[in-house]
Amino acid sequence: MNPLTVQNLYDDNRRSLKFENLTGHINDKKIVSSEIHRPGLALSGFVDIFTYEKIQVLGNTEIAYLDSLSKRERLIAIQRLVEFDIPCIIITNKNSVYKELLDLGEKRAIPIFRTPMNTTQFVRKIGDYLDEKFAPLITKHGTLVDIYGIGVLLAGRSGIGKSEVALDLIERGHRLVADDMVIISRRSEDVLIGSGNEVIRHYIEIRGLGVIDIKSMFGIRSIRQQKRIEVEVLLEDWDSKKEYERLGIKENYTEILDVKIPQVHLQIYPGKNITVIVETIALNTLLKIFGIHPAKEFDRRLLSKLRNKKIENKKTQDQLKEYLEHDME
Amino acid sequence: MTEGKVIVKNKLGIHARPAALLVRTAAKFSSDIFLTQNSMEINCKSIMNVMGMAAEPGSEITITASGEDEKEAVQKLIELFDNKFEED
Repeated sequence: MNPLTVQNLYDDNRRSLKFENLTGHINDKKIVSSEIHRPGLALSGFVDIFTYEKIQVLGNTEIAYLDSLSKRERLIAIQRLVEFDIPCIIITNKNSVYKELLDLGEKRAIPIFRTPMNTTQFVRKIGDYLDEKFAPLITKHGTLVDIYGIGVLLAGRSGIGKSEVALDLIERGHRLVADDMVIISRRSEDVLIGSGNEVIRHYIEIRGLGVIDIKSMFGIRSIRQQKRIEVEVLLEDWDSKKEYERLGIKENYTEILDVKIPQVHLQIYPGKNITVIVETIALNTLLKIFGIHPAKEFDRRLLSKLRNKKIENKKTQDQLKEYLEHDME
Repeated sequence: MTEGKVIVKNKLGIHARPAALLVRTAAKFSSDIFLTQNSMEINCKSIMNVMGMAAEPGSEITITASGEDEKEAVQKLIELFDNKFEED
């Protein structure tokens, strides 16, 4: 992943955050932290643990503090701030900026941007942007399809038929996110978001046929840009010696970027309708999200039946005992 | 595991034709073969993966293979890169 620079930050957010570039120059300094910092304490003189490597945001409070100082004190406060190797300074609420800050910023080559948004709103928006940019990323060989709103990642060896299953699913009205190569990023601890590579996005290769453009062929409703991954279906070759899940009480999990997601091993052999099974896996996942677990439900029913049977057996035994004890013969 | 480093030397980079050639060559070997560029690892036996990598001229690529015929596979693929995929 390429490191995020101040230039990227400006270009990506200029429109959405209405950035105004006050010093006119931008640098290629790297942004190394996904957090932002409000340098109130640094301005007032406490710089012992000043996290200068973060993006510095000057809100109403910081500007009001600078306003309260005398001209000389203000210059010292600003000098203290720009002494550090700050990536960039952002002023919110369209506050007016002191000339000293602009001059010193220019001298120290620190870009200064201004936005009309209020600080809370701004911090939330830029926080989302930085979270996305700093999210851990991997590329995985597989196909991601949205089935009834459930993100199903089809995995398995090359040539096992992931793309063919995906095509079948699309034909049934489900939506393709990415074929063959899924870029997965982790957001907020336990959410995996998958998307396609921008070059091959929404194209599928079907062996013997070549490359197919899904968007043109099946229309806009057949594709999706990104989707949370909720379950992985691992397609495997049929192996009569291998034991596989019969009941579904014990759940298998796989880990992607340290996030645990359910994994279903699906064995393939001719005549088995994989598409319908994958659709069912998606629906089953949906049921589990709503708290309905068929295998556990089934087991509960079986247990209660066994209990009743035990009581009935005891009744028959008691009758027999009574009969023998009262020996009617 | 066998590794080899190559540089894309043909003028256009890895477009559809060289990608297909790479995949066809890789598919002849039983080893698992991967290409790595800028920490992105892709399966060399998948045409979509190789095209999705969008390797421009001059980019550095690492070939890794593991399996019975890993040495021959890496050698053959390096040859393809060095011959500029029979282009130019």
